[in-house]
Amino acid sequence: MSLLSRLRRVPFWSAVWFILGALYFILPLLATFEFSLSMERDVVGFKAYEVAFADKEFLQTFGYSIFLASMTIIMSIILIVPTAYWIRLRLPEARRLVEFITLLPFVIPAIILVFGLIRVYSAPLNVPFTDLTIIQPLTNYKFGTNILIIGGYMVLGLPYMYRSVDTGMRTVDVRTLTEAAQSLGASWYTIVVRVILPNVRTALLSGALLTFAIVVGEVVLASFLGVKAFGPYLFLLGQHRAYEPAALSFTSFLLTWAAMGIIQLVTGGQGQVAGGH
Amino acid sequence: MTHLTLKNISKQFGDFAAVKDFDLDVKKGEFVSFLGPSGCGKTTTLRMIAGFEIPSHGKITINGNDITEKAPSQRNVGMVFQSYALFPNMTVAQNIGFGLRIRKEPEEKVQKRVSEMLEIIHLQEKGNSYPYQLSGGQQQRVALARALAIRPEVLLLDEPLSALDAKIRISLRAEIRAIQRELGITAIYVTHDQEEALSISDRIVVMNMGKMEQVGTPFEIYNFPTTRFVANFVGSLNTTDVEVSDVGQGLLNMNGILLRTAEGTMNKKKGDKVKIAIRPERFNFASEQKKDNVLDCTVENITFLGAVVRIQVKIGDTKFNMDTFNNPFLELPKIGDKDQVTCSKEAVLVLSD
Repeated sequence: MSLLSRLRRVPFWSAVWFILGALYFILPLLATFEFSLSMERDVVGFKAYEVAFADKEFLQTFGYSIFLASMTIIMSIILIVPTAYWIRLRLPEARRLVEFITLLPFVIPAIILVFGLIRVYSAPLNVPFTDLTIIQPLTNYKFGTNILIIGGYMVLGLPYMYRSVDTGMRTVDVRTLTEAAQSLGASWYTIVVRVILPNVRTALLSGALLTFAIVVGEVVLASFLGVKAFGPYLFLLGQHRAYEPAALSFTSFLLTWAAMGIIQLVTGGQGQVAGGH
Repeated sequence: MTHLTLKNISKQFGDFAAVKDFDLDVKKGEFVSFLGPSGCGKTTTLRMIAGFEIPSHGKITINGNDITEKAPSQRNVGMVFQSYALFPNMTVAQNIGFGLRIRKEPEEKVQKRVSEMLEIIHLQEKGNSYPYQLSGGQQQRVALARALAIRPEVLLLDEPLSALDAKIRISLRAEIRAIQRELGITAIYVTHDQEEALSISDRIVVMNMGKMEQVGTPFEIYNFPTTRFVANFVGSLNTTDVEVSDVGQGLLNMNGILLRTAEGTMNKKKGDKVKIAIRPERFNFASEQKKDNVLDCTVENITFLGAVVRIQVKIGDTKFNMDTFNNPFLELPKIGDKDQVTCSKEAVLVLSD
């Protein structure tokens, strides 16, 4: 079937709404891109990109944010996959409660979260009724701050990661697959690694992508915890520069798209692997 | 020789007793079906054998070894699920070889066994296909091969044909039975379909509300049901209340009409109320054959069912269905006709409850 005849089969109003929706997203992006190309008067070029990429701080903050995002994703997978799996398998009655908890980051602003973290973890952890310190205040040293900020990002990414994983597990009927693997002699480790994880791969990648996007652009937690991440860097840059922030914003979009492309490539463009029905 | 034993098995879910006092000995190579309506406890019993549920009371042994508390992965029991449960990320060959690789069998042996199993299920050319590329029937054959590849002590099948269409169901059930016979494996088959159970099993366990109602060969279950539930659940049946009239001669009084039975009145006394059952196909028109019971009737309704014609007759105040083979060269009675029907005394079954 030719492209033209395929297009003719698309209902008229569906096409109109799709185009309007696409324009709503694409036009601001194009405007940003166009603006980022006009750093030099009367010249269309990539000067803003050159300047932005040449800044040492850009590479440092961006690299650091990628590190934080990667750690957040790894820790989230370690926490969320077994949790979602166990809830589906053995604790279905806890599902509503957990879903409610995963929605809390939408209701509680990041500023509340970060002040809570600072208030709790800026004091040392002592042995009760003594002055003997077990753990120094986490906010006082870099490793501790990293733990705090990754923990905070895990909370922010929780709704996306949990829901993606949970939806993925619903699609493949994890309960029956688990029982089938058990009857064939598989251990829990084998079941999770060889049966469950490969079948929720797409869901994991989607959740990971969203978490990555959130972490790389996040400003509040990073600013208040005083870490030099990409979000605060971009924010500060925007205070006294015009073209470079536009160039970097557009670059972040490209990176996100590249990540989506990788997902499509890895999963063969088929989305979730076909279920067991 | 007894291979699988379930001794005094019960399962409670809170206050609900899903299975009560279940006792069964299964011989090596025997094909036993658990038959009953939804919620009768048949799947729960199967899941207890598989290890997915632990009995509240009782003991399960295979070859004399107590497996009651063992994890499912330690039981060497193969299971086939209604929803196939093939691993979507693995090819057919990988699915079949999964259990063997878990057991760390040499790759050469795994490949050989996978080929054998693919040959048994007639899917040699589908080894590299993914489950979503197969039809439902093919997927279920792969699931069967996967369960059999590990050479399990017992094969458990949980309504394996329910998701398939009628034609495939019939051909696949014959295939399952043939493979089971060929390999000589002990099999437990759960179904709510009486025809399936009757056609495939060496023995049937009819279950109702968590209890065993009757255990017997398909012939016994169909022809000699011992309880009202079995009589009603397996095949279609006429049941009615009668009174014992003469214990010695096996005479029963059905609102003034005398019926003769061959069994079941020995422990009764005159005047006792009992329930009797007569299969529709055990009735004949009197003109065709003379039998122990000859009863006046009126034809009330005639239903054409293809190979069989079901005729509803009224004997006294009681309505009975009788089935006769569809013979285009024999004239059927008309609604309202007065006639006589007969049945042998063996056809009149006295039910225990």
